[in-house]
Amino acid sequence: MRSFLSYLIPLLFLVFDVFASDYHEQLNLKPLPQSSLLASFNFRSNTTLTQFAAHNFRYFPRSLGQILQHVGTRELHLRFSLGRWDAESWGARPWDGTKEGGTGVELWAWLEADTEEEADHKWLTLTNALSGLFCASLNFIDETRTTRPVMSFRPEGDHGPAIDRMHLLHGVLPHEIVCTENLTPFLKLLPCKGKAGISSLLDGHKLFDATWQSMAIDIRPLCPPGQECVLQIEQTIDMVLDIERSKRPRAGEEWSLDQLFGKYLKGTCPLTDPDVPPVCIQVPERRDIFSTGGAVEIKNPNGLSRCYQISPERDFSMILPRMPRDGDNPKTTADEHVQPGTPLLYAERSFTGHGQERGGVQSILTNPSPDTEVEFVYMESLPWFMRVYLHTLKARVEGTSGAKDDLIEEIYYRPALDRARGTQLELRMRVPPASTVFLTYDFEKSVLRYTEYPPDANRGFDVAASIITILPSTSPNAPPTLQKTSNLRTTSLLLSLPTPDFSMPYNVIIFTSTAIALAFGGLYNILVRRFVGADEGPEEVGGLRGKIALLVAKLKSVTKGKVD
Amino acid sequence: MPRLLATLATLRGDPRLLKLPPYLSLSCIVVGVVWLLLLPLDEFSRRTYISENALLPGQVNTYFGGSDRNVFQAYRHEIDALAEKTNYEINDELENILRGIGLKVGRQNYTYHSAGHTYAGENAYAILHAPRGDATEAIVLVTAWKNVKNEFNRNGVALGLALARYFKRWSLWSKDIILVVTPDSRAGIQAWVDAYHDTHDSSRVASLPIKSGLLQGAVAIDYPHREGGFDGVHVVYDGVNGQLPNLDLINSVSYIANGQMGLHSFIQERFQHSDKYDDRLRTMLRGMMNQGLGHAVGAHSSFIPYHVDAVTLQPVGNGWHDEMGFGRLVESAFRSLNNLLEHLHQSFFFYLLMHKDRFVSIGTYLPSAMLIAVNFTIMAILMWVKSGSGEGASQPTVSTIVTGKGTVEEKKEVVTATPSTPTTPERDIYLPLGIVIACHFLGALPLFIFNHTPSHLLAPIFLVFSIFNITLPPFISSLANLTPANGLTLQHFYVLKCFSLLLLGMFLSSLATLNFSLAFLVGLVSSPLSFTSPWPSNTTVRYAYAALLNILSPPAVILAGVAAYAHYGASGTTLLGALEHVLREAAFGWDVWGLYIPVVVCLGRYGLEVWLPDLTYFGLGLDEESLGQTLYLTFYDLDAEEEDQIYHSPPDSRGKLVLQMLDVLMLHPRFPIVWN
Repeated sequence: MRSFLSYLIPLLFLVFDVFASDYHEQLNLKPLPQSSLLASFNFRSNTTLTQFAAHNFRYFPRSLGQILQHVGTRELHLRFSLGRWDAESWGARPWDGTKEGGTGVELWAWLEADTEEEADHKWLTLTNALSGLFCASLNFIDETRTTRPVMSFRPEGDHGPAIDRMHLLHGVLPHEIVCTENLTPFLKLLPCKGKAGISSLLDGHKLFDATWQSMAIDIRPLCPPGQECVLQIEQTIDMVLDIERSKRPRAGEEWSLDQLFGKYLKGTCPLTDPDVPPVCIQVPERRDIFSTGGAVEIKNPNGLSRCYQISPERDFSMILPRMPRDGDNPKTTADEHVQPGTPLLYAERSFTGHGQERGGVQSILTNPSPDTEVEFVYMESLPWFMRVYLHTLKARVEGTSGAKDDLIEEIYYRPALDRARGTQLELRMRVPPASTVFLTYDFEKSVLRYTEYPPDANRGFDVAASIITILPSTSPNAPPTLQKTSNLRTTSLLLSLPTPDFSMPYNVIIFTSTAIALAFGGLYNILVRRFVGADEGPEEVGGLRGKIALLVAKLKSVTKGKVD
Repeated sequence: MPRLLATLATLRGDPRLLKLPPYLSLSCIVVGVVWLLLLPLDEFSRRTYISENALLPGQVNTYFGGSDRNVFQAYRHEIDALAEKTNYEINDELENILRGIGLKVGRQNYTYHSAGHTYAGENAYAILHAPRGDATEAIVLVTAWKNVKNEFNRNGVALGLALARYFKRWSLWSKDIILVVTPDSRAGIQAWVDAYHDTHDSSRVASLPIKSGLLQGAVAIDYPHREGGFDGVHVVYDGVNGQLPNLDLINSVSYIANGQMGLHSFIQERFQHSDKYDDRLRTMLRGMMNQGLGHAVGAHSSFIPYHVDAVTLQPVGNGWHDEMGFGRLVESAFRSLNNLLEHLHQSFFFYLLMHKDRFVSIGTYLPSAMLIAVNFTIMAILMWVKSGSGEGASQPTVSTIVTGKGTVEEKKEVVTATPSTPTTPERDIYLPLGIVIACHFLGALPLFIFNHTPSHLLAPIFLVFSIFNITLPPFISSLANLTPANGLTLQHFYVLKCFSLLLLGMFLSSLATLNFSLAFLVGLVSSPLSFTSPWPSNTTVRYAYAALLNILSPPAVILAGVAAYAHYGASGTTLLGALEHVLREAAFGWDVWGLYIPVVVCLGRYGLEVWLPDLTYFGLGLDEESLGQTLYLTFYDLDAEEEDQIYHSPPDSRGKLVLQMLDVLMLHPRFPIVWN
């Protein structure tokens, strides 16, 4: 826990500084067990609300700012995530999990609107605009994927009285695959656009080869006491690199920044706050690190992290050599990386049962702490074709402490409507110390209309991750990590629905079309034609002769008429 | 038109019409069998092809080799050191190795009881998380410690470990990879698959501590110690209860082996295949036998009922390929499975393979089993008409109508007397219906006995049961003959036979769509029963009949199978030993795999055996076939219901209604096929 705190210390330190400067960026590296490396990129810029209202965006990206102004967005959070955080090996999540989303794309925003309809309308505009900006299918967040969470999310910014008119909308696209086309617009929002500073390390090949990766954009208004209110945009990229894989084809335990990211850090971004060291690494004091020339090492007094001030003009890299296990100065594994902190809660979710008719969901929530209870909100937003039987919802506890019946304290349930909206289930519950709660419920699988299946129907349907919001503890002697809200997401699930053989509808269509063509064609032919005997019809002779004959006949009839 | 109707009306009364169905029925059987025999011809079978384009088999470079050879040999060294250790010690060591590779490891205990034996052990498995995935899909690599022949899968386990380590290095996996090491290839893997789908009985099988996503495919490696290299791969694909994996999977493996690896590939243990008619026919019949028996033929078999496509790969022949080559084959197969965007669904799930690249699909082969099923329905209709024609309706009992001659005369009389206004007497259907239902439920008796008997008593009990079956019917019939007032008329027997045949036809035709081979084989064995004529007065003929019925009875068929097994499959064992073995296997299949085939076979067969002669000896002029059918039906009927459940539910949820005799036969993996 302490180590994790220390990880946050430089950041806390920066919070004081945040409002002084308009832009700052920092890269935090943290070697993890099993030869992994967590790299957290953080970019933050501020614009005062008055200037923002006057369209003077300064470091705030104009493209995004205009969208926000257009749809009256007060606060916005956008997440692109890939892979899974291995809490068992890597411990607690970076940023307490508040800067990550479920697999795919996740978006939630507080919109200013007078009615729900207006909010829905603005939400539609927002998703469509963001979809274009970030090259993601955000426009597929329709009403069936939109929820209005009640307990899980709280605004992070200072909104003042406007909070009464704000509507929270939340949407997830679990099947969206995050890739380079999402990174490029993300980098373009930065003042240095990936050309200088820590963002010059970001490269699609390395970022998307990461074992776990999350890109986040948070926009919120902040009103520091005694200062003008600012609109803050914070962009974060967290990634866990497999060191061995990233530095391939080179082998060995030694690694350097340029090997892992494929390039050097190109100086500093000239716009950044010069007081903030751009690169920090969390390693024990005894770990040897060599950096390129021009960089100044600043050791944190707690001995668990050090930062580097680097030259604005020169390329920067650092090398972490192999630790000698014997010799004059033998090192141990404990010297290699800081022991990761224990997470507050482990969550795992899977399907139970088999077959195409019904199934079940089981979430296993484990509280590893020996003495502290964890209280949280568990939120599921399920697609409408998963018909949840709420009466089967059960929470069972296993652990050392005595079983308690009141695990679930509050339930908010909004049932699904077929083809209109999904199920929203929010549970406020708690897990006693050192115990595991099994949360299970059953559901029925709907049969879709055949046009409702996607082209890859046999793959199954993605079910979004459930979102766990750990509520701050009310007790005064709770550990510091429990003093504030933290988040956690399970993995997404793949639901297989009964899928028809799609050649069948087409066979039927082709067959009926043929039958109709034959029957209808024949019938129509009979109905619209007049049948006359061959000898009754006018004798038709083709060509010039025919025309002349026709003319003669006409003339004859005319003259006949005159005679009559 | 009126003339046609008039012709039809006269035809309806024509006694010749009633003589037609037996010939029609016979021709159905003959055509059905001939149809099956025609299938191996080029005109009826098709070349295999890969339907799922996403698989792209053999289109990737495989890199398993080089320094991985040293890794493999090191693991094999470790494995050799563990050969004599207990299951738990082995798993401790495996867990160390797998954790060292960086995988998540889980262990699972299971205990099965069957025929007085306990099958217990602990599975170890490891999940390699897809580097960028999130646990939505997974593919499985199974390396059982012992293969189905109980040989130490020395190379297989080492290869599994080496491959896991090698796979860990790649970032291209879109699905999790699960390596499962079970102590055996029969009970352990069943326990694991059941628990993965949460359909296990938690009193016998423990839940899995860690899980991944939907299983998209499984490959089992069966590579015991062998001298020298190999030059071919044997693809084993039959699943439990005769279900088959998607044909695309088999084709992909074959394609990779033949094209990319330069290996031969074989199916159904035909290692010399000329691709001529007789080899194709033998391969197909062997496949049908395996399907009909429905036993697990490899570690992969247990996956298939859960709609997870799976195959077992075995090296065969002598050549220059070594373990690394086998590893590359598995690697390439995994890369293909990894490419899958959707669950395998494009290609066929119902097929008969007759060569590695020649098959017939269900549309082509189904008519043969259907025709055999139709023969029973035709006879059932005939019986219904006969029962309604007044014939035998009011004939009081036994003695008056015993002779076949008398019946025929009567029939003529009736038909000629009432050509225009046929009198349709009331049919009493309750008594025959009651008999049919009773026969159905009687089948539960032997099922219970043979599933709850310790294995050393199985063979004696079976023999006692067989003798009992042969001697009881004459005894009962002689007893019955002493009581003349038994109110049964000939009509009762016609209706009884009608119901029996009708049900038999119905169940066989529905069974044919699920397990073609079983339906075909059972239909064929029971087809003579359609043609038994009323009880002959001639004593010699009568006893010949009785003998024929006994030969066709389940105990006799099982004994014949066991004898063949003892002779070809396990030379050196006595007949009794083989019998005990087979019966124990049957009980195992029932208890662990959830086979339904035994139910079908045993129940029907036993009922038949016990009751058919019984009734025939009653001397009531009853057609013996009707009773036989009844019994057959009994088990078929159960079977069909069972099957339906089995198809949609895990094995343990089905009701345990029936016996398991025939399945016994089928269960044994090494059961030799007569024509082999």
